[in-house]
Amino acid sequence: MDKGFVMREGENGFERAMGILEMIYKLPDSLSEEDVEAAKNFVFPELQQTVIGLLELPADRELELFFFRLLLGVLKEAQNAQAEGKKLVFIPFTFPPEIFYSFDNIFPICTEIVGGLITNICYGQGERFWDYAMGMGLPDSLCSANTIGTMPFFMGPGLKADAIVYNSAGSCNPNAKIHAFASDYLGIPQFLLEKPVDESPRGRELFRQYLKRFIKELEEWSGSEMREERLREVMKKSYQAVELYNEFWELKKARPCPVPNIFSMTLLVLRSQLWGRQEAVDVMQKMVDMSKERLRKGEYTASEELARVYITYIYWLFDFYGYFTWMEKEGITILGDILAIHYFPEMDFSSKESMLEGLADITFDYPMTRQMGGESISMRWLDDIIYAAQDLGADACIFGGVHACKHTLGTAAYFRREMMKRTGLATLMLTGDVFDKRHTPMEMLQEEVKTFVDQVVARKKSQDKKKAKTAGE
Amino acid sequence: METTTTLSRETEIYNDYVKEWKDKGGKVVGYSCVATPVELIEAAGLLPYRIKALGNSDTELADGEMSLFNCSFCRACLQLGLDGTYDFLDGLIETNGCDHLRAMFENWQHRKKLDCFYYLKVPHFYRDDSLAYFEENLGLLKGLLEEKSSVKVTDEALDEAIHGWETVREKWRELSALRELDTPKVTGSEALALEIKGSSMLSGDFVAMLSRFIAERKDAVGTKPAARLMVCGPATDEVEWFEEIERLGAVVVADVLCFGSRAFVTAPPASDGSPLHRLAEAYLSSIFCPRMYKEYERRRDLIRETARRARVDGAIYLYNKFCDLHGVDSVIVRRDLEEAGIPVLVLEKEYSAKADIGRVKTRVQAFMERIGGVA
Repeated sequence: MDKGFVMREGENGFERAMGILEMIYKLPDSLSEEDVEAAKNFVFPELQQTVIGLLELPADRELELFFFRLLLGVLKEAQNAQAEGKKLVFIPFTFPPEIFYSFDNIFPICTEIVGGLITNICYGQGERFWDYAMGMGLPDSLCSANTIGTMPFFMGPGLKADAIVYNSAGSCNPNAKIHAFASDYLGIPQFLLEKPVDESPRGRELFRQYLKRFIKELEEWSGSEMREERLREVMKKSYQAVELYNEFWELKKARPCPVPNIFSMTLLVLRSQLWGRQEAVDVMQKMVDMSKERLRKGEYTASEELARVYITYIYWLFDFYGYFTWMEKEGITILGDILAIHYFPEMDFSSKESMLEGLADITFDYPMTRQMGGESISMRWLDDIIYAAQDLGADACIFGGVHACKHTLGTAAYFRREMMKRTGLATLMLTGDVFDKRHTPMEMLQEEVKTFVDQVVARKKSQDKKKAKTAGE
Repeated sequence: METTTTLSRETEIYNDYVKEWKDKGGKVVGYSCVATPVELIEAAGLLPYRIKALGNSDTELADGEMSLFNCSFCRACLQLGLDGTYDFLDGLIETNGCDHLRAMFENWQHRKKLDCFYYLKVPHFYRDDSLAYFEENLGLLKGLLEEKSSVKVTDEALDEAIHGWETVREKWRELSALRELDTPKVTGSEALALEIKGSSMLSGDFVAMLSRFIAERKDAVGTKPAARLMVCGPATDEVEWFEEIERLGAVVVADVLCFGSRAFVTAPPASDGSPLHRLAEAYLSSIFCPRMYKEYERRRDLIRETARRARVDGAIYLYNKFCDLHGVDSVIVRRDLEEAGIPVLVLEKEYSAKADIGRVKTRVQAFMERIGGVA
């Protein structure tokens, strides 16, 4: 296929992806199997995996159509933000977007989420953006999530941010470095919020101080104060979604799990880009309602739930169908990944000060920041995954990361041993990439997952059953 | 250029100097990052020892803990920690230098469970609030060192250690001046070898070694190099890389390396305030490492100024595979140096991979041809 078909001269990835996403508006609310087949055949092969990943299963179809329409509306707002006098800032997926929505004149774009979406939609997917980065001389050991996530904004004219912010200095070097690099390359200011690798009260106190200073810097730069009323409004919306998040978490405990796999990916996008807005509340509400309904009806996609797995690091996102849908059809439930574990403190809405303190704690304990920026990466990571895996009743764990995740890869052996020792849960170590399928093709990952489930998880479950039966006799 | 008797290349991790110190009942504290104030360790009557691997290429045990996507230098150091080579250490100080380093220390501690282990939290920017926090951390480290050494670190003792290490830095500047001459009297490989030896010495002995070396070289006749090179990058203790480059006729007349000149750019502590405060300020304001954020301009200026002072013909940015900090920085450093008229060769390599030497030599030869030096 001619590249020009999807990326025209003078157009960048963001605009192109928006153009393709516009098609969602043209689809009817209720799609038949034939409609899905037609939609699939209408697009180029790589986009087909995205389309069927979102639309093939009836529950996914209903939710994702609803969600993408809302998301598209928000992205259009981003597109028009500067014309309306707002400042557009790039943020990483380790940062709560509600901080930025609390400003009257700042609009956040999460680079990994929006950039990732673009790569999944555009021809050539993540690879073309990765190759562009390599062409700039960047090292191939960087993280594809951040590198590919920022590249669509480097290529050609189009959406240009006014500033870039990041907070992973010292917890994820590739993430922090690529965001600092983007600041230099795009010639825009950078704002850094550092999290001290210190979990003592002093560390938290210092972080609160850092956050306030960070907000002050944003206020000075943007020329507007973070108003208490607006902050309250945003935080209330945020906590409406938090309540639904808690319900969502509880629903995942049921066997078989009533929550479709792809909802986990949807949660990630909501949290990273839309939290603090009505859209996040609406989508969370729908996910909870649909899951409850599935629970009531006892619905599960496969004939049996063979395994419930917790992803110890991150999902791979270059092929929604091959990852989320395939596992679901195979009877493998994805319970979550590290980005799904949130700690929301009790929020005191009474004053700006009290809300900022709560916001500081949310940011301090934000997924990845909390673990990789912890005093001990391995211990904090292990404790949190053990909590999630046990609370949700996982049968096994799967490590998925990127070759750039030096922090986790550097302690993964310890993690795996301790996980087995403390919980009896086996961990499958997979090497792959979030957005670049050339690293390990999806078929290979599927084969490894299937073998692991068949030979380790299913066998262990059957042995446990036998043991229980013998003990009963 | 003849090498002096004082300059046999270090080959032993547990070298004679350290053995002698231990035989006398002395204790040794290991550290890895130049953000660790060695003055504090010395003032507590302990010997600071900078962790190195001295070209060790065996990483079998470390590979069981860290992945092959982790820096091979950190894996090589971990290997020596796990196989018992570093068992002479009485304590270890971790720093949050980079992801690889943190993983190295965590695995080391999980396996060895050292009784004296301290995590020195070094902020990623230099600001009043980060300085205050760093000073607090140094205070905690001081307390631990006092407890383990049973020696009270008085202000006087700390001042004395500060003075001792200031003298080391002065001597290093003298040594650097001999490297930077039109006909250098000291080569890059010799300077690196000296730094590696000195990184497991007390300041007084390090000064004495540098003084002897400088005295021997001061009146020597230097050689005009085919090319004057500067090497930038992270920590490397591989003197053989420098030797190979210099065998081609070039001289590494300057460097901005972590084992190397960057370890000596710490600002002189201010004259007012407590010694601990002055030490905190001097260190935090002088970390010219890509692990510091929003400070690129300062790093760039240091590199450009070093290149200008040494009148280099070209620069080599040399770093180990998977080093994200230097990998990303190398892109903009190259751009900025080339804009300033200094050609740059970026080289990515594995630590202690002998197989890489041939490839690297070929590229350096080609680079020398490009900049007008004949290899």
